[in-house]
Amino acid sequence: MPTNLIRPDDPALHDEPVVAVATLVGATGSTSKKLGAKMIVGASGRLVGGVTIGGCVDAQVIEAADALVAGGEAKRFLSISLDDDEAWEIGLTCGGTVDVLLQRVRPRDARDPLVAAHRRAAALVDDGEAAVIVTPLDGGDPRTVVEAEAPAPSAGVFLDRVAPPTTLVIVGAGQIAMSLTALARELEMRTIVVDGRERYATRERFPCADDIRVGMPSEVVAEIRHTKRVAVVLVAHDYKYDLPVLRALLRSPVGYIGMLGSKKRGSAVRDMLRDEGYSGDEIARLHSPIGFDLGGRGSAEVALAILSEIVAVQYGKRA
Amino acid sequence: MSGGSSAFRAAVLEHFRRPRNRGAFDAPSGQADGANPLCGDRVRVQLVVEGSVVTDARFTADACAICVAAASVLTDHVRGLSLGEAAAVDATWVFGALEGEPPSARRRCALLPLDTFKRALVAVGASGR
Repeated sequence: MPTNLIRPDDPALHDEPVVAVATLVGATGSTSKKLGAKMIVGASGRLVGGVTIGGCVDAQVIEAADALVAGGEAKRFLSISLDDDEAWEIGLTCGGTVDVLLQRVRPRDARDPLVAAHRRAAALVDDGEAAVIVTPLDGGDPRTVVEAEAPAPSAGVFLDRVAPPTTLVIVGAGQIAMSLTALARELEMRTIVVDGRERYATRERFPCADDIRVGMPSEVVAEIRHTKRVAVVLVAHDYKYDLPVLRALLRSPVGYIGMLGSKKRGSAVRDMLRDEGYSGDEIARLHSPIGFDLGGRGSAEVALAILSEIVAVQYGKRA
Repeated sequence: MSGGSSAFRAAVLEHFRRPRNRGAFDAPSGQADGANPLCGDRVRVQLVVEGSVVTDARFTADACAICVAAASVLTDHVRGLSLGEAAAVDATWVFGALEGEPPSARRRCALLPLDTFKRALVAVGASGR
């Protein structure tokens, strides 16, 4: 579930009658989190999330949030400079500003406008749709629309896009796959482990996996809904799975396809696919050797290298 | 692929690179799935039977070269055979078609399609077609 969505049934909220929701709605400079990042401040003092990377301005946000929760105002807007004088003098500031919208919310009240908007967004995300929560900054209730119906960006309105999490499909239930499921959970990815071998693809070996599927891997992968938010990694290191799965993927819209193996092996696989009629553009979608070269060879290190590359591709940092 | 004669290796590579009858029918008369649980080979054999004759056969596989090659030669061979003739196809025929035997550790790769084919024949009988 995206971190910028509020779930009224979140255990962190169930005993909070009133909270302040702080949302990062604008930023300049280099230190901000993604727009839409949220921090929830409960009447009990509880803090969930954050609106800056290191929390350098969170104290100001918390102070304003506490006042909002106590005072009953519905909304407040903060524009905070990141250039505090002391840090500036010793050259340790990133510079810039962050704009934070504070909203007073009753998380257990379905009629609360923000709760209603987030519920609808959560329902759309659960169905695999991206949604946009449209929030007027100068008053008015938020509303949720599917992404295709979102208005154009404009001053005075914040568009909070929420999308289904990345689905990481892992073909080959070995040691690297085990590390991938553990690390991917921290990245809030949904993981599906696929293998043809029942003794490998077990819940005991993959306690962190969201789904474990045993069958003909190319068929299992073909049955998964292919979108840009799907990343597929071939870590069986076995051509018997690699080639059929690649045939099922190279003409699909998945966002990332990577295959474990040396440059030589990757080259041989590309040659075979070319002989089978796949185009240069289709074959160029394959990342092999998979992952950034971080130097490590342990399974967790390889998993980290793979996930690093996937994240970079998602943010357009590597073609 | 290691071991086996050069003729065997050539036959396996030829059928792996250009498999015959790879694909699936929308409505087969019968089919069966097979798996080698440790190595992970997976194969499906589908048959079309008219009267008492196997008129067509196809396979899909996420499997090694030996397994794919065995499925390829087998599905080619059984077209036009009667159900009785098809049921009589055995390991000796498969090894002959592949021009040799695989190393002992890989025999199960070569014989998985045959076992799956036999179970597809049973499925045809069970379906009454």
